[in-house]
Amino acid sequence: MKRREFLKKTSILTAGTILPMSLIEVAFANEADGSKSGENFTFAVISDAHLQQIKGTKFVRNWDMGLKKAVAECNLMNPKPDFILFGGDLGQLGKAAEIDHGAEILSALNSPVKMMLGEHDYYLDLGEHWMNRFGDPYYSFDHKGVHIVVLNSILVDEKWTNKWKDPMERMQTMAGLDDPNGSPFMVGLQQRQWLKKDLENISKDTPIIVFSHSPLQKLYKGWNFWTDDAELVQDILKPFKKVNVIYAHVHQIQYNKIGNIAFNSVMSTAWPWPYPETYSQGTHYMPKMTIKMNRADPFFERDATGWQMIDVHSGRVDFNFQLPNNKNRTVAYNEKTEQPEDMEFQKEQIPPQTHY
Amino acid sequence: MKKILKTIALSTLSLYITTMLQADEFTQKDLDLWMAEYKSVVKEGRKVFTNPKLGTNTVTCNECHPNASNTHPETYPKFQKQLGKVATMAEMINWCIANPLEGKKMALDDPRMTALIAYITQERKGIKLDPGKH
Amino acid sequence: MRLLKKTMLLIASTLFVHAQPLGLPPVPIPTDNPQTDNKIKLGDMLFHDARFSADGKVSCATCHAKEKAFTDHLPVSKGFSDKKGTRMGTRNAPTVINAAYYTSQFWDGRVPSLEEQSKFPPINPVEGGLHSWDHLVDMLKKDDFYKKEISKVFNIKPSEITIEHFAKAIASFERTIISGNSKFDRYMYGGEKDALNAQEKRGLAVFLGQGRCVSCHTISQTHALFTDNQMHNLGVGFKALGGKSSEVAKEYIVMLAKQKEKLKDKTGNKVDNHAADELVLAEKRFSELGRLAITHEADDMGAFKTVTLRNIAKTGPYMHDGSLSTLEEVVEWYNLGGKLNSNDPDTPFLDGGIRPLNLSGEQMVDLVAFMKALTSPEFENVKETK
Repeated sequence: MKRREFLKKTSILTAGTILPMSLIEVAFANEADGSKSGENFTFAVISDAHLQQIKGTKFVRNWDMGLKKAVAECNLMNPKPDFILFGGDLGQLGKAAEIDHGAEILSALNSPVKMMLGEHDYYLDLGEHWMNRFGDPYYSFDHKGVHIVVLNSILVDEKWTNKWKDPMERMQTMAGLDDPNGSPFMVGLQQRQWLKKDLENISKDTPIIVFSHSPLQKLYKGWNFWTDDAELVQDILKPFKKVNVIYAHVHQIQYNKIGNIAFNSVMSTAWPWPYPETYSQGTHYMPKMTIKMNRADPFFERDATGWQMIDVHSGRVDFNFQLPNNKNRTVAYNEKTEQPEDMEFQKEQIPPQTHY
Repeated sequence: MKKILKTIALSTLSLYITTMLQADEFTQKDLDLWMAEYKSVVKEGRKVFTNPKLGTNTVTCNECHPNASNTHPETYPKFQKQLGKVATMAEMINWCIANPLEGKKMALDDPRMTALIAYITQERKGIKLDPGKH
Repeated sequence: MRLLKKTMLLIASTLFVHAQPLGLPPVPIPTDNPQTDNKIKLGDMLFHDARFSADGKVSCATCHAKEKAFTDHLPVSKGFSDKKGTRMGTRNAPTVINAAYYTSQFWDGRVPSLEEQSKFPPINPVEGGLHSWDHLVDMLKKDDFYKKEISKVFNIKPSEITIEHFAKAIASFERTIISGNSKFDRYMYGGEKDALNAQEKRGLAVFLGQGRCVSCHTISQTHALFTDNQMHNLGVGFKALGGKSSEVAKEYIVMLAKQKEKLKDKTGNKVDNHAADELVLAEKRFSELGRLAITHEADDMGAFKTVTLRNIAKTGPYMHDGSLSTLEEVVEWYNLGGKLNSNDPDTPFLDGGIRPLNLSGEQMVDLVAFMKALTSPEFENVKETK
């Protein structure tokens, strides 16, 4: 059976929770000789705030409340997360006012914050204001035995980037998820070379977490749930035994496993997106997931948004989704099946909503 | 005299027959024209769907509904919790304009409403009708 | 002939008791507690019996008085009195009217049923103040009438009487305290086009439209419960946490564990409910945690149950802490998106459905007029509090 037909036949399952903030606990198993290769730890991911300026100091209240809620809830967590990664798209059109407004809201967080770029932060001024405020668009660091990489994976073909006379027009085009005049995301040659070098001296047993805004997979091109050089990036990551890609951009729960690489998406604090399968005219390659997030009731502005607490264990990640107006859910890495699975659904048998 | 009467009779008959043919036959030209008219309204609908001035807070429909996904036009009329009754899609569109977009509702037969419905339904073409479904 | 008459009267009275009023669906009756006339009468007596309290003066009816639309018209309820004074709680007494339609009881939904709810006030230190359920059951067993009646109603031996029988009888009685047939119901479901006047109709339009009320205070095509049975943070009581929500939550979790340890022999497997029940009514700052005190979920911070709006004009003051005295204040609260002063900050935990409404003065007056039209005829004469 051709791969395309196979994917069409499998149903799409989604993990159920929507947490704009993901709390992920990374735990380490003991080595064969009884020593520990690293410590367990937790971190949080808050992502896709899309703060949208209406005029002056007036911002779209709905998205503001989403980010503020995630920050307030994250501060309730006990014990505190080791750090919080912001997954990109802090502003909607990447205006300085939006990025500064976002930085101000995030400053209330009680743990150190690491920043990542999204396309909405980048295409107005090619990330200039963002980089002045937050620093390098891609970098890596080590934490308690885990090697962590943050990529800028929303770059596109240079010809497309440079052809625009009006930067706002370029940003508006990129901002429309379904705009046919956009361009597919990629990591690009420069970063791939940097990544290869960065990983050169890391042992193949060291767990790796890669943060990326775009999925580092090819899921649905129409909405740029897509990384054009996904296979090339995955090739660089392949030799490592435990790789976890955590990506944003999609505003919905997705998870997948390709070889040794587990993929988990994070929720948006602002608004949810439907699954690509609900667009009847498009073709997509969504991975098989156990529980999809619910469909939002648009009256409840935080429905189908959220954040996530992430537990790192045995070099693998478990996502604990904090979902307003919904039952919280957990997508945990099942050591036996070596797949990420929705644990809460398995336990409580919450009937999933159908997406159509 | 007879000849004149015959001519009158024949021309009346032919006129009658021609009129009958025009009433119940769509020519290909008509079909093409009417489809083009419709498509132009679909195009207009896409413009309204992506217009930051539809509401008062710059939020556009396609921000949450890329390609009009998750609008489910085939399920209307249905009970709409936000309206407290069984409603049509036009009424729900108005709810969205008033609430997430913080804008002003339109008349149900406003040309912009028709355009929106045309675009939304076109993007959902081919899906079976399933009124009442959630 | 006499038997037939008796039977018909019985059937008629049963029908009268059990048929649902206009605008409401049938009352849900659990299979393990069917309605019978004797049980309802027994429940009525227990509900009004003040002996089940530390000072012999507090019954369910103390805070849920029929002549006050089954509330007490106080911001927060008072409990028993002794030489230390009168006990005061932290929460407003919800009405019993139509409580049978809720899928959980108490402001934070900490128990799932009317039966479970009835057990806690008698033993709460700021309400009934009895030492334990055993104490209460002892009183039942020692009373000649109750001993005989409970045994008869439940077909058991007097020695088998437990707190469950007390709870079931009261719940059965409460399931008859239902009311619909308001002016709104007659207009909406009874086909009486003039049951609402022009202003009330405008108020209904606000309720369904710009007021954004209907999503939580539900109206359906054939009946109206006016509650979605969900928990929402409206911003009420946010100020009382003084910006220390994180600290209070942490403190509560620690106190809860200690309290559970203290109470574990009193209520068996209900100790979770019992411990929370005591803490949230004892300390205002714990009360303000709302649903979070029960689920420990961050998103439930300050969230409370949507109440039915039926008879709302007769059941003030309003909100879980009784902090809003009039319907006008309530409408103003919602109009500003969860505050009375537009300069006040928003709580970050505010429910996603709450936001400024930009209603005009006239719309707000109309909305209040509509809410007054939700009063059932049998409660029309209840004096409203001021």
